[in-house]
Amino acid sequence: MLRSFRNINRRDFLKFCAGTATILGLSEAAVPRIARAVGDAAKKPPVIWLEGQDCAGCTISFINTSNPGTAEIVLDTISLRYHETLMAASGYVAEKALHDTIAEGGYVLIVEGSIPKADERFVQIADVPFVKTLNKAAANAAVVIAIGACATYGGIPRGTPSNGQGVGWAMENGLVPKKPLINLSTCPVHPEHLVGTIVYYLLFAKAPPMDSVARPLMFFDKLIHDNCERRGRFDNGEFLEDWNSFEERNSCLFLKGCKGPWTYADCPTRRWNDGLNWCIGCGAGCQGCSQPEFYTGMSPLYAKTKDIAGMRIETIGALLAGATAVGLAGHFIGQAATGRLGKGGPPEEGGES
Amino acid sequence: MGKRITVDPITRIEGHLKIEVELENGKVKDAWSSGTMARGFEALLTGKDPRDASWVTSRFCGVCFSVHTMASAAALDEAFGAQVPEGGRILRNLIMASEYLYDHIIHFYHLTALDYLDIMAIANYKGKDPELLAVKDKIVGLVKRGDTYPLTPRYEPDDFSVADPDIVIMAVKHYLDALKVQVTAKNMGAILGGRAPHFQSIVVGGVTQVPSAEQLGRFKSMLAEVTAFIKDVYMKDVLLFGTGPLFPLAKLGIGGGHLNYLCYGSFPEDASGKNLFFKPGVIKNGNIPKPEKFDQQKVTESVKHAWYRDKDPVHPYDGEQVFDLDKSDAYSFVKAPRYDGMPMEVGPLARMFVMQEPNLMGLVKKGVKPGAVARHAARMLETVLLADQMQVWLAQLIDLMGKPGFRVHDTDNYEPPSSGQGSGYYEAPRGALGHWIKIKDKKIENYQAVVPSTWNASPRDEKGQRGQYEESLIGTPVPDPENPINIVRVIRSFDPCLACAVHIIHPGTNEILKFRIE
Repeated sequence: MLRSFRNINRRDFLKFCAGTATILGLSEAAVPRIARAVGDAAKKPPVIWLEGQDCAGCTISFINTSNPGTAEIVLDTISLRYHETLMAASGYVAEKALHDTIAEGGYVLIVEGSIPKADERFVQIADVPFVKTLNKAAANAAVVIAIGACATYGGIPRGTPSNGQGVGWAMENGLVPKKPLINLSTCPVHPEHLVGTIVYYLLFAKAPPMDSVARPLMFFDKLIHDNCERRGRFDNGEFLEDWNSFEERNSCLFLKGCKGPWTYADCPTRRWNDGLNWCIGCGAGCQGCSQPEFYTGMSPLYAKTKDIAGMRIETIGALLAGATAVGLAGHFIGQAATGRLGKGGPPEEGGES
Repeated sequence: MGKRITVDPITRIEGHLKIEVELENGKVKDAWSSGTMARGFEALLTGKDPRDASWVTSRFCGVCFSVHTMASAAALDEAFGAQVPEGGRILRNLIMASEYLYDHIIHFYHLTALDYLDIMAIANYKGKDPELLAVKDKIVGLVKRGDTYPLTPRYEPDDFSVADPDIVIMAVKHYLDALKVQVTAKNMGAILGGRAPHFQSIVVGGVTQVPSAEQLGRFKSMLAEVTAFIKDVYMKDVLLFGTGPLFPLAKLGIGGGHLNYLCYGSFPEDASGKNLFFKPGVIKNGNIPKPEKFDQQKVTESVKHAWYRDKDPVHPYDGEQVFDLDKSDAYSFVKAPRYDGMPMEVGPLARMFVMQEPNLMGLVKKGVKPGAVARHAARMLETVLLADQMQVWLAQLIDLMGKPGFRVHDTDNYEPPSSGQGSGYYEAPRGALGHWIKIKDKKIENYQAVVPSTWNASPRDEKGQRGQYEESLIGTPVPDPENPINIVRVIRSFDPCLACAVHIIHPGTNEILKFRIE
């Protein structure tokens, strides 16, 4: 069986399976099951990857996957029929590959980049508006995986004049047929979220359990603030105020505008770039890029005063009596006392423009 | 009239690009370049906290993300009156340079190499090298399974394609190796930048992290690993190809274009910001030995053939973004920047010519003409230069950190000023980049960017001068209109990056006319 499947040796293949098991949070016991699901496939599952209003950042992030690596995914695991940034073909030859695969049906459709609401012609490929191609491609897809802030909820483009929207919006509004939709919503997509979701789908032939905005719970069920390595500093009221201070370098970034208290993703534990670092780790704070409100709803990204107003009461409730309150005193307590706390939701939604 | 052909999409680039050419006697007689996607980031930024800009503009492009952050931060530094401390300056340089390493490696191996290789020649490899045999097994295995996506379909190999099995199999092995090395290069940036793509740590006034000794140690060892690949593999491959199988293509100077080159300069070597590692300069009309001084006042933008209201060419500070979608002679969202009225090429070839890089000059003496192959050589040479320079910067940083008063950020000038303006000039991996910001009432009043691919991908200007992509295609051999492989070779040699090349969309007008040539 393994002999007929792709051309990597058994040791490498099992390493691949172990890597994906880790991403999915499965134990070693799952490795044989992954091996069967991926290895037994008579043919590699076809994948179409479309790019709308995108910056290719999700593609560049995807090829950062290292266990398993990009070559193992792209050459050995999936049949990548269309991907503007990676495929050999151009022009007519590329478009033919797309349309042949659509006719075949049953593929995984990955979408990067938003869909312009203001006018469909804000993005055209091969003289066809992107949303029309997406409509065709979704019709015959087995599952749709929207990656990155733009393709999931509109992200930064939602605040621009082109008014970019996510795939879910296009489905809700009848522009694209409704299909099982999985949102992987950080900006850019986390490579392990994407690889893990693909393998999950190969393993179970269905979408993983998801939250109310279609994000897999296995990656997005925890609040960053609750799992942050600096949470203890927050509780102790130790806030970073000067980036030059070596003593403060691991202090809480709340005063620097960190959006961790409103943001659901597994960044604190998974981290980025093979675990080397992450946004809070480098002192910059979380910008809330996995949330539907991102970006305009999270702006100003670096300001300290506005943010607390909309902070969830359940998150901040415990702190007011503790050391945190002392740390925050002079910064926010005035607002808290005047009842501006606990309004719920993120700062303010300014998305639809 | 000759035969017209269109290549849309041009793949293996960043963004959405369409190229249309007119052929006569098997060669390109005329060409049109058109960007086909727009978002309108600059309008989004109006009214926002200015500090958002360096973070948001990273998303202009997910391939060369850090340079937008960098140019934006430089514009903000000026507008805020922030003085970036030495530590912050060097850390910014290291973060930015790590992006070059990953970006240039990816461009050569993953975005462009497939244009020069008959990958299926691997089946004829007769050698015994076990690593290469593993590559052969992999590719032949894909063929046997009847599924060679995404390596095929493709344009068919031609006379310029390399079909020697020993060379092709080595190149494909390096393609696979480079997939891993580019991860390491990107991860280096993440150590100092938080994550990649889209670094987090660059803000107005400096950076957000004082690195630890452990982090710098790891950075250093990863830099050594990537540098070894650059010198032992990337450099040798480019030289082998450029002076070997691709020498005929290099000698013909296919893809040369206007032979005008512009470099803003970048990587400040001291606090003044005047002493730059990449030197600014301008070369006109192929006068390569004589770079002129760069004067930013001579930059203008023409909108004659772009979908904007007609206006005489002006400096970007005075630019406007009023659409006129009924202009019959417009065919692109990309404006046409000009220097002293002339179209310019920006990017590695421009930088290395302006620097008079001796190895590139040597290749020129050997008969390599400015064009697609020379562009690949210049890109490789600057990667080598930067990898070496990063060791120097790292040593400077470590030395500085050992002294008292080490700083990475100007905390005193971090709050937005009530008003101000600033400009940030930088060299992106793809060429000269400028960001301009105006602040009013502590908010962004106006934001502007003129990006590398705007220079290279521009349409004609009011004098009818073609943009550099267009001009560089003139004379390119396309013997088979069904297989226009030389067109994509020329265009990809620039490393196009279109998402950011397209300018603002006016909020009041949202209709886009289809680019049509009768």
